[in-house]
Amino acid sequence: MLDILVIRGIIAVFLISIVSATVGSFSVFRGSTFFVSGIAHGALAGAALGIFLTLALFPIDPLLMAMIFSVFFALAIGYATSRREDVDVAVGVMFAFSMSLAVLFLSMLREYASIAWGLLIGDLLLLSQEDLTILVVSVITIVLIFLIFYRKIMYSIFDPESAEASGLHVMWYDTLMFILIAVGVVALLKCVGAILVYALLIVPAAASRRMFPSVSGTIVGAFVITLISGLGGIYLSYYLAVAPSSLAGLIAAAIYAVSLFRRR
Amino acid sequence: MSIEVYNLTVRYDNKIALENVNVKVEHPSLVVIMGPNGAGKTTFLKSLLGLIPYEGEIKIFGKDPKKARSLIGYLPQRDSINTNMPLKVKEVVLLPLVSKSFTIKKEHVEKAKKYLEFVGMLDRWNDRFDSLSGGQQQRVLFARALVTEPKVLILDEPFSATDVKTKMELVELLHRLKGEKTIFIVLHDINPLVECTDMVMLIQKTLLSFGTVSEVLTPENLEKLYGTKVPMIRRDNVCYIVGGDRHA
Ligand SMILES: Nc1ncnc2c1ncn2[C@@H]1O[C@H](COP(=O)(O)OP(=O)(O)OP(=O)(O)O)[C@@H](O)[C@H]1O
Ligand SMILES: [Mg+2]
Repeated sequence: MLDILVIRGIIAVFLISIVSATVGSFSVFRGSTFFVSGIAHGALAGAALGIFLTLALFPIDPLLMAMIFSVFFALAIGYATSRREDVDVAVGVMFAFSMSLAVLFLSMLREYASIAWGLLIGDLLLLSQEDLTILVVSVITIVLIFLIFYRKIMYSIFDPESAEASGLHVMWYDTLMFILIAVGVVALLKCVGAILVYALLIVPAAASRRMFPSVSGTIVGAFVITLISGLGGIYLSYYLAVAPSSLAGLIAAAIYAVSLFRRR
Repeated sequence: MSIEVYNLTVRYDNKIALENVNVKVEHPSLVVIMGPNGAGKTTFLKSLLGLIPYEGEIKIFGKDPKKARSLIGYLPQRDSINTNMPLKVKEVVLLPLVSKSFTIKKEHVEKAKKYLEFVGMLDRWNDRFDSLSGGQQQRVLFARALVTEPKVLILDEPFSATDVKTKMELVELLHRLKGEKTIFIVLHDINPLVECTDMVMLIQKTLLSFGTVSEVLTPENLEKLYGTKVPMIRRDNVCYIVGGDRHA
């Protein structure tokens, strides 16, 4: 019999694959992959603050704080780039700022810091029913928004000026994209941790774009690669007794490496 | 029916990029815009499209630029395209048609095919856009600008990255469109289009000169425009610039 935790892990991998196929692929198309990793650390800072507040003052869901922080950081980066700041610089500054906050909050947690460590590393096989619910709600939100705005987001990413000239509010879709990334990142936080969000959100989509160079090909491929990596990670962790997310990350990276050898 | 611009001034972060431009263009005409790099040509086009804030007034068939967008087809300078996105040629041309609807309709596909055929790229329908050469991409983007069947075409350096053959083919297409559309086209080399140009705008931070080819393209004006002597020959009362592309 499969353990309930393992079943939850498998369901989570399936849901993560959907996030990776949508948010991940479009982040790769947009060229905002560093952004994803910046937001992941913003989310970590938020979660650490949430844990601190819960212990010191009043109970608040760390993931909710993570969501608030990452949306805030995403919008701040969006604002900076609309002011003609280089996106890498803007993300870099936010990265530094959020890591400083994260370390600050973690050090305030003192002996409880290990709770927050869970969010840094995550664990696919330790998900609560509530974690899974958050994941499901996030995925439904993301999928609905993509279904509705798919082509508009695509146009805004491919050729923002012409999209604007044809009457689309590119700023609006940019912001929407930032928020979707933030939601996707937080959804993955509990499962794979801030450090490895990148490994399952970006690496599969990047590999997939090389292997199946079309928009729909990238999306489907990213889904499959994430699924293989995640399930492979859970399966191997049985035998190796190490964190499944690390193995999932390694499998995804290996698939990316293989995609590099393919002729484009 | 005309496009009118009154006292147009554009600033970026308080630095003036374009000052006090006044022009009136009757529909349909072909207007060539010339000027050195950084002169404000793209800035002028973007204000016609309502893409940037400006002072002054712009009326496109009596409408403000933002309200006139459905009347305009736009071919941006090529460096504004994001090639990280592996779109197919068909998807690129369909974008303006389908971005506002949920489904791809048959008529969308027919129009996209019609205009890809028009630019001679229909056989690349299923190919990836980023696998095309620069000149081929330019043609596809030209088809995309036409696909909404706009009255006004705004083309920012459509000949960049095109070889002589493609350039002449595009010129031939412009000949066919002229007379039904008003076309604003930024060029560094007017020679291939000299015969079908109605009006020329010389831009250097402001409108240096505006008029017909023979009125505007004088050695004095070109020297003022580029700040250096421009060798040219005169034929049929029209000056041709020798040495072609002034792009450094
Ligand atoms: N978004 C912007 N913010 C600040 N300055 C800008 C912006 N866009 C253009 N400029 C500046 O405005 C001036 C005019 O730019 P514009 O792009 O209109 O020139 P151009 O005539 O199209 O040049 P090119 O031949 O190189 O395309 C330049 O000095 C440019 O640096
Ligand atoms: Mg320009």
